[in-house]
Amino acid sequence: MQILGYLVAALTPYNLLLALAGVSLGTIVGALPGLSATMAVAVLVPFTFAMDPASGLIALGAIYTGAIYGGAFAAILVNTPGTPSSIATTFDGYPMARKGDGGLAITLATISSVVGGLVGAISLLLLAPPLARVALAFGPTEYFWLAIFGLTLIASLSVGNTLKGLIGACFGLFLSTIGVAVVGGDVRYTLGMQRFLGGIDLTSAIIGLYCIPVILDLVATPNPHLRAAETGGLRLAEGFRLAWANKLNVLRSSVIGTVIGILPGAGGSIAGLVSYTEARRASKDPDSFGKGNPNGVIATEAANNATVGGGFIPTLVLGIPGTPPDAIILGALLVQGIKIGPALFSAQGAVVDTFIWGLLIATVLMLPAGLLIGRYAFASVVKVPKPLLAATVALLTVIGAFAIHSNVDDVQTMVGLGLISWLLSRYGFAPSPIVLGLVLGQIAEQGFVQTYLIGHASGSLGTMFFGRPISIAIILAALATLLYPLVSQLRARNKAKTEGKAGAVQQGRDTGGVIAAGGFVILGALMLWGTGKASALGAVFPGTIAVAMIGFSLVLGFMLLRRRGAGRAPEAGLGSGTLRRIAIAALLPVWALLLSVTGFLVTSLAAFAVTMVIADYSRTSARTWIIRAIAGAAIVTGFWWIMVHVLLLRVPAGLFL
Amino acid sequence: MKIRTVTAVLAALLAAAPFAVRAESFPSKPITYIIPFDAGGESDISARFQQTDWEKVSGQPVIIQYQPGAGGAQAWSQLNQIAGDGYTIMGINLPHIVLQPLMGSVGYKTADLVPVNFFHYTPNAIFVPKDSPYKTLAELVTYAKANPGMVTFAGSGSNSANQLGQAQFDQLAGIKTTYVPFSGTGPSVTAVLGGQTTGGFNYVTSGMNQGDAMRMLAVSAEERMPAFPDVPTFKELGYDLVGGAYRGVAVPASTPEAVRQQVSDIVTKINQQPDFIKRMQDGGFVLTDIGYKQMPDFMVRQTKEYEAGAKALGIGN
Repeated sequence: MQILGYLVAALTPYNLLLALAGVSLGTIVGALPGLSATMAVAVLVPFTFAMDPASGLIALGAIYTGAIYGGAFAAILVNTPGTPSSIATTFDGYPMARKGDGGLAITLATISSVVGGLVGAISLLLLAPPLARVALAFGPTEYFWLAIFGLTLIASLSVGNTLKGLIGACFGLFLSTIGVAVVGGDVRYTLGMQRFLGGIDLTSAIIGLYCIPVILDLVATPNPHLRAAETGGLRLAEGFRLAWANKLNVLRSSVIGTVIGILPGAGGSIAGLVSYTEARRASKDPDSFGKGNPNGVIATEAANNATVGGGFIPTLVLGIPGTPPDAIILGALLVQGIKIGPALFSAQGAVVDTFIWGLLIATVLMLPAGLLIGRYAFASVVKVPKPLLAATVALLTVIGAFAIHSNVDDVQTMVGLGLISWLLSRYGFAPSPIVLGLVLGQIAEQGFVQTYLIGHASGSLGTMFFGRPISIAIILAALATLLYPLVSQLRARNKAKTEGKAGAVQQGRDTGGVIAAGGFVILGALMLWGTGKASALGAVFPGTIAVAMIGFSLVLGFMLLRRRGAGRAPEAGLGSGTLRRIAIAALLPVWALLLSVTGFLVTSLAAFAVTMVIADYSRTSARTWIIRAIAGAAIVTGFWWIMVHVLLLRVPAGLFL
Repeated sequence: MKIRTVTAVLAALLAAAPFAVRAESFPSKPITYIIPFDAGGESDISARFQQTDWEKVSGQPVIIQYQPGAGGAQAWSQLNQIAGDGYTIMGINLPHIVLQPLMGSVGYKTADLVPVNFFHYTPNAIFVPKDSPYKTLAELVTYAKANPGMVTFAGSGSNSANQLGQAQFDQLAGIKTTYVPFSGTGPSVTAVLGGQTTGGFNYVTSGMNQGDAMRMLAVSAEERMPAFPDVPTFKELGYDLVGGAYRGVAVPASTPEAVRQQVSDIVTKINQQPDFIKRMQDGGFVLTDIGYKQMPDFMVRQTKEYEAGAKALGIGN
């Protein structure tokens, strides 16, 4: 009952205000790709020094949970995860929005996020000390297999296109090995360039891989970006009904999210991917996943918000941060003079319990605050004229990639990867396997090498890799995920055969696919050659990937040349928007390259204007153009001002400003 | 009475005068303090501790930003491109800035960087989980001698202060242990707590949060730590192992001498604040007083030591 006493302590008007403000601010930050929960929490930490510890913590926790939730908006509305946690939200959220169900998707994301957040926070309140042991039961081997499990999702993500999915994953894994290796310390694949030393930044890669193709598509047609919902609005009642009908999915995903949140270093993106896989497997209609199945959104969003509460468990109980924002909050606690660790719950119980109640309250407040912001965000994406929308999305990709490290190099990497992603996706290589490889690569490699070192030292390599109970469970789950689509595919093929319809009917030769496969063979060979200089520890993982990539690509090339059904041929022709697409594809690198030459503000203003012109299809009157010009100038200058004066980023001034 | 009051006030004014003048000239606006690592590590936490006293000492607040990547090399390789006006400073770590350039091309050379103050270090310590059979360092060494390579130590990163300490200890004790690098202190401590490795070669600071969940067998400080009076130093046990990771503040090479000294003085002054001293000691940090004037000698000495250590690790041959 003492626990309820702290509820009263958390319920002061001041704390409520902090929770509401924090959640709202967090949601907005999360919705903007590149502006992350980590950044928002880091900027606001100094302000909490002046508050009492519990209030400060509530504010930080509210921002954090809001940001994880807000990531869903960008995922649903523009196919770009606002934070890495909502990668899997794009799989079904964006298709839903394209079909006119964007409002419903936002409602579902909100409900699932709130429930997931509550499950995580309640676990933190009631079960933290015993659950913290989960973090300790996971050793390097388990992390390795968890990453492999995540990679098996590719098999189900790219049904009928498995080879291309696998090659894409190898490419993503390759990207993850660039830079200084954590284990071994080798400098790999940097081409001698400073910018690649720190590796490919995940957030800027996500922005590029997902969002650049969206921008190119935005300008290519005069059609509206999203179909406005016929039924209008957020379809609240329908959303609640749908969430209730799938309560098992909501609950399962929340539990998965909580448990994965407890694992330091795993985080919201993996939680979302794993629960997405599980939701798909449990579904009676797995083939509709990836085409706008509401359960995909529910699973991801419930899981990623559950990681917030889950992540606090090792942070508060063991003093080991579960996620990067947890790490900053941990620092803030230390500065406040609070000693975390096993003694915290007994010695500082009042602060901790008040904070957890605050987190619960903030999570509940996310429902009204999120729906309100979501309604506005949805309406503006649907209503804003396309030229303005395309230019704003392009601006946000540039700002997002820049803001992560105040670094123009990240913007250039983002644009480069984005253009590669667009080209590859034309030939059937989807961006998601690449992102999966990039997200999971480092976890897989570190887990593998650590397991090898420990197993080698004790002379028990076999048992280390395959003999540990949790590992065996994860391996079995991975096998199930891997084999399930194959089985159902076989069944479907048999059915097709008996009905006398051969699978691949009159496909044109997939020349692009053959060229891409050839390119990947060359890349794999270069990777192998590059491992020559690395130490044994640093060479084994990239070497394995290179061999796999060459193998898959050779098989793909061979199958395509024989015109077997290894993937669909690209849609014929580039369509009417080709010129505009090329114009934008040329503009973006120029934009990224000029940022530090002519200054962030001036370059972006000019590029924004050019984008609007490229994206304009109607014969727009001069008056409308003036209005758009003013709006555009206000948007660019506003974001620039926020970067310089609120986020205090070092924005390049160049020749002008 | 009156005269004494006046004298006292005058004396106080005189004492405060250099400080007041400096507050007018530098800094006159907030300083940006870049941490080249992720939040939550020792570099971040010690900088956050400084942040609380920074405004009191310098008259202006400090803003902490993170620019992680390549174990710090990403940020350090860009340090000298920043304007040298003293308003952007960067955290800097030893032995990182000596070992990294030895490893290969990381975009900077040790001599390119301008550290102006190293304000603390975190000694290495050997940890074992509380249910470990090894109660003392001697027991662990005996086991390691009988079973070469079987003892595994979790530590933070490759070619880090942890690994350097492990390699030096192997040499001093005449044993062979296996170092398992993790992506930071948090994951490596998790591995120790979970019994994934025999023990950990970590910083003392990790012991602060864990209470009695981990046992500290020895610490590589000159003297026993105030926070852990019962833990012997390596020196006491007959191994000449002192050191760990030093953390400090660097400025771009274009920064004028006067400003370098001023930044260094701010850091030194914070090191004298009672609140700060207490926080740091409670956290397991050992304060040092290596200002800009002492820097050349200190860097020469440390570089020599680390280069010898690097040979033990097999780097830079």
